[in-house]
Amino acid sequence: MSDFLDVLSVLILLSSFILMANKRIKSYIQTFRIQSALIALTAGIMGIDILSKEGRFDVLIVCVIIIAMKVIYIPHLLNKAYTNVEYKIEKDFFLNIPILIFVCCMIVVFCYFSISNTGGINLGIINLRVVNSVSLILIGLFFMISRKKAIGQIIGFLVIENGLFITAMLATQGMPFIVDIGIFIDMLTAVLILGIMVFKINEKFDSIDMNELKNLRG
Amino acid sequence: MANVLYAVIQIFVIIMLAPLVNGIIKKVKAFTQKRKGAPVLQMYFDLLKLIKKSVVVSDVSSWIFKVTPYIVFSSAVAAALLVPVTTMIMPVGFAGDIILMVYILALGRFFMMLAALDTGSTFGGMGASREAMISSLIEPSILITLFTVALIPNSTSVYQIMGSMKAADFPLIHPVYILTFIAMLVIIIAETSRIPVDDPATHLELTMVHEAMILEYSGRNLALIELGAAVKQLVFITLLVNIFIPHDQFISIAGIGAVAISLLIYLIKVIFVAVVIAIVEVSTVKLRLFSIPNIAALAFILSFLGFLQYFILGR
Repeated sequence: MSDFLDVLSVLILLSSFILMANKRIKSYIQTFRIQSALIALTAGIMGIDILSKEGRFDVLIVCVIIIAMKVIYIPHLLNKAYTNVEYKIEKDFFLNIPILIFVCCMIVVFCYFSISNTGGINLGIINLRVVNSVSLILIGLFFMISRKKAIGQIIGFLVIENGLFITAMLATQGMPFIVDIGIFIDMLTAVLILGIMVFKINEKFDSIDMNELKNLRG
Repeated sequence: MANVLYAVIQIFVIIMLAPLVNGIIKKVKAFTQKRKGAPVLQMYFDLLKLIKKSVVVSDVSSWIFKVTPYIVFSSAVAAALLVPVTTMIMPVGFAGDIILMVYILALGRFFMMLAALDTGSTFGGMGASREAMISSLIEPSILITLFTVALIPNSTSVYQIMGSMKAADFPLIHPVYILTFIAMLVIIIAETSRIPVDDPATHLELTMVHEAMILEYSGRNLALIELGAAVKQLVFITLLVNIFIPHDQFISIAGIGAVAISLLIYLIKVIFVAVVIAIVEVSTVKLRLFSIPNIAALAFILSFLGFLQYFILGR
């Protein structure tokens, strides 16, 4: 059980690296879907474990909500936004891809050195998973600032949310149900609004490049 | 005495099996394109035919051109000696042999690049410069992968690494091994001139890398280089399957029967990896030459993350 969770936390971290190495907006959405599926799998494994040990089934409900929202609905929504915009591939980065990946790697090193010195959560095996999931949050943040197009930034936001969820999940064996539901509804609203905004930005400026937003005269 | 026998078995198995792997990869690719494809044993026929043909050597070339096929082939075979096919037969083993294996293969590649430059043809120089670029990009990730794998048993001997893997129940369910396994797959694809990096089936001057270097060779020399490349590919596949998917713990009997069963399971694993490589090859496109640093960076990061996970995990 514990080995499976270790491997899953590493695979989730790896999916964020693959996301960082991608250029096509279609593959962003696909990689995000895979990452969410891995998170749902983690939640499912933990949910079954908690159900058999303590008799709570709220983690399993959370798992079902993740599958419905992050694996099916939000990628579908983003795909719809993607068909409307004309940018299919991201061309101009602030840094080139190998440097972006190296910076991500340095983020993991940074997380390792900062988290391994803290007490409390530093209880043996939890250590590894918390390092991986906190670096997932920071990589999501870095993904958001490294991309110029709006859909890339939405994906970055969703990766941050995934990171927060998986950190809470792995460190605390499942948060209170009401907190999870609250976060999910917040995120769903944010994505809906952002999706509409992508459409509007595209309509107004013929592009979803964020740099165009500097001149707001329309 | 037994060691000599083991070495002979090992060399015989690797050389005889190496062209078969290429045949399987080509057959799987043909099936996915709804073709019947060449027979699985086609490469053996090709090699036999090439050995019978006479050799043409350019007037302007030096001795490097003539000795290179022998160096390429013998370096590949020497590297094959260092990677045990099963833990039951152990031809050559000493501390640090995994590093020696990487650089023996690099020696063969170095001479191949020299020979490609030697004849002074345009394609040779182009292929050699591209090969130098790819190999220098991939080399750090090979070494870090092998060092990471060597950290756990605290030994750089392939035999010891395989021994420690045998102790684990499912070696792939482990954060370090799963990352280095994926890194190793990427490395194999880059090292053996497979599709995202180089296309083995093309002779288009804009894209070829490995083919451009061996363009001037003919007859027996070409046969030796092709067989050397196939042996090198099988050495990497052997390293992959034996480090990450060990099988010897499942064999309870001893003696000559155990070795035979072990070799059979080894054959099945090699065929499995060949099919995986073929699937990767048909499902991706060849990258631009300037996109190869991205793949190399990903392979490096995979191996480096594996290295990091070893310390994060603390065991």
